[in-house]
Amino acid sequence: MMRLVRERPNTCIAVVLAVTGVAAVQDHPVGMDNAVLIGVQALIALSVGLSYGQAGILSMAQAVLAAIGGYLSAIVALRWGVSPYLALLPAIALPTVLAWGLARFVTPLDHLAAALATLALSTVIEIAARNWDSVTGGYVGLTGVPTLPGVRTPGAFAAVVWFAVCVAIYLYENLMRSAHGRALNTIRHDRARATADGVDAPALLSAGFAMSAGFAGLAGWLYVHYITYMSPSSLDTQASISVLLMAVVGGVGYVLGPVIGTVLLSLLMQLLPAQEVQGLFFGGALIVILLVARDGILGYMDRTTRAWRAARGSRP
Amino acid sequence: MEYVVRGLLSGAVYGLLALPMSLLFLTTGTIDFAVGSYALIAAAIAVTVGGGAGLAAGMGAALLAAALMALIFWLLKRRGNEDPITIALASFGLAVAIASLVLWTWGTKAFVLPSFSTFWDLGGIRVSPQGFINLGLSLAMVGALYFVLYRSDLGRMMRAAAVNPRGAELAGIAVTRVQCGAFMAGGAVAGLAGLLIVFSSGLDYTIPLPLTLAGFGAAIILGIKSPLRGFAGGAAMGIVEAVSAGYASSIVASLVPSLFVLAVLSMQFFFQKRFAGDRP
Repeated sequence: MMRLVRERPNTCIAVVLAVTGVAAVQDHPVGMDNAVLIGVQALIALSVGLSYGQAGILSMAQAVLAAIGGYLSAIVALRWGVSPYLALLPAIALPTVLAWGLARFVTPLDHLAAALATLALSTVIEIAARNWDSVTGGYVGLTGVPTLPGVRTPGAFAAVVWFAVCVAIYLYENLMRSAHGRALNTIRHDRARATADGVDAPALLSAGFAMSAGFAGLAGWLYVHYITYMSPSSLDTQASISVLLMAVVGGVGYVLGPVIGTVLLSLLMQLLPAQEVQGLFFGGALIVILLVARDGILGYMDRTTRAWRAARGSRP
Repeated sequence: MEYVVRGLLSGAVYGLLALPMSLLFLTTGTIDFAVGSYALIAAAIAVTVGGGAGLAAGMGAALLAAALMALIFWLLKRRGNEDPITIALASFGLAVAIASLVLWTWGTKAFVLPSFSTFWDLGGIRVSPQGFINLGLSLAMVGALYFVLYRSDLGRMMRAAAVNPRGAELAGIAVTRVQCGAFMAGGAVAGLAGLLIVFSSGLDYTIPLPLTLAGFGAAIILGIKSPLRGFAGGAAMGIVEAVSAGYASSIVASLVPSLFVLAVLSMQFFFQKRFAGDRP
């Protein structure tokens, strides 16, 4: 047990927080609804952490990749009555494959070019979802998607979503503790050095981006079976951007950073007077965070505790 | 033929938007994702104030927004944060904030002003004189920019700041000031583009991102290094868009800017010599 706490601290923190959070919102209808939606966003934010924080691909397609997973699961459930649980695997696999294909092209390029390519891909998929009436239902979207069998109350659904978040955090932390994770870190600091060490940088970065797309697909699958409705505007490029901003505010280089940023900003958002001010709030928060603490909230905390420890240690 | 003329006229605006992209990339090596939102805020203010004063106020608003971006850039740089991707991210924050401000204040309504009701007959093709105003103004801007960049001291300073910031600094050029100037110039050009769009097709709060993408597509298709090529790229994109709208469908036409970007980037993939991030 102690070994687990020592070696996977982030997972343990996440599990404790998720259990208390989900337990606290049981019996509050609004709280349960928020817990599910924030959990889905946190999962997408986690995928941003993996793609931007670790693999260095500033992706503006994460929410749209989630939408692919959601659409796929909704379509097979509505057309052929396939159980959502059977559709889970394809809903994760399709975004993963697509992201891997894109990443093979963009990882050798400049970071800015990679960011633009994801933005262009996101726009293409969004337009396709709007206009491919026979499959995606066009602007109207797909209605009447079945909920997850066996998960009846929103409270139980919140537990499922946050369980998924914890699993994703565990996988993510596992990756970062492995040789592959250390290689990813090396690539971020010095690509030439990583290549000299025998790391196939484009392949590893592509794999990282593909895994992040898998997280996004999982988020989309959870989303569609909770809302039971899917339209092009539910998970669009705008959503990708707000999740991206939230992840950066939380601290994109840290495993828990994106989740903390999402939860904090989403809770603060409840205090806003109107839905439309959201962007102003996100954009402002991002600029302030970049100016004050470029590594996000967690980075700031990390630095201050280190400085504090160093000051205490140097005292005679 | 009709589609080619129409595309050329509408592509002029893309060419105009490509200018701030290539100018900024030349001087600072980064992308300003907020360019589309300068156009939006200029349009919103111009329509609200109205008349000739509205046009001036719109330009002022775009300049103000660009000045804000320049200020953010300067603050980031002062804090030792010169990573191009961080600056691009900050410009994203500004773009989202401006779009949200416009949505909050004006709602989802479209900004459009009536232009000419008469049409010119050009060898059997009916075109609005507005198209020619767009084309003329865009060409004038490109010419002015070309002159400034390649025929004046300021332009030489800008190019020097881009090629070797440190060396330029040592040679007595105020590199940061030049770079902030590039952001402001980008705001002015984007504001002008926004005003032209108000008179031709109109725009609403969703436009910033597609506009930025279109401008960037136009800028990179023939190489981002020169503003002239950016304009030609914009014209080419307008023509392809108009032709595909005419012969295929409006869906294909709306895909054109994104497909341009993807195509160019994958071409870079096939023809490049070395990987980004390698040491030279």
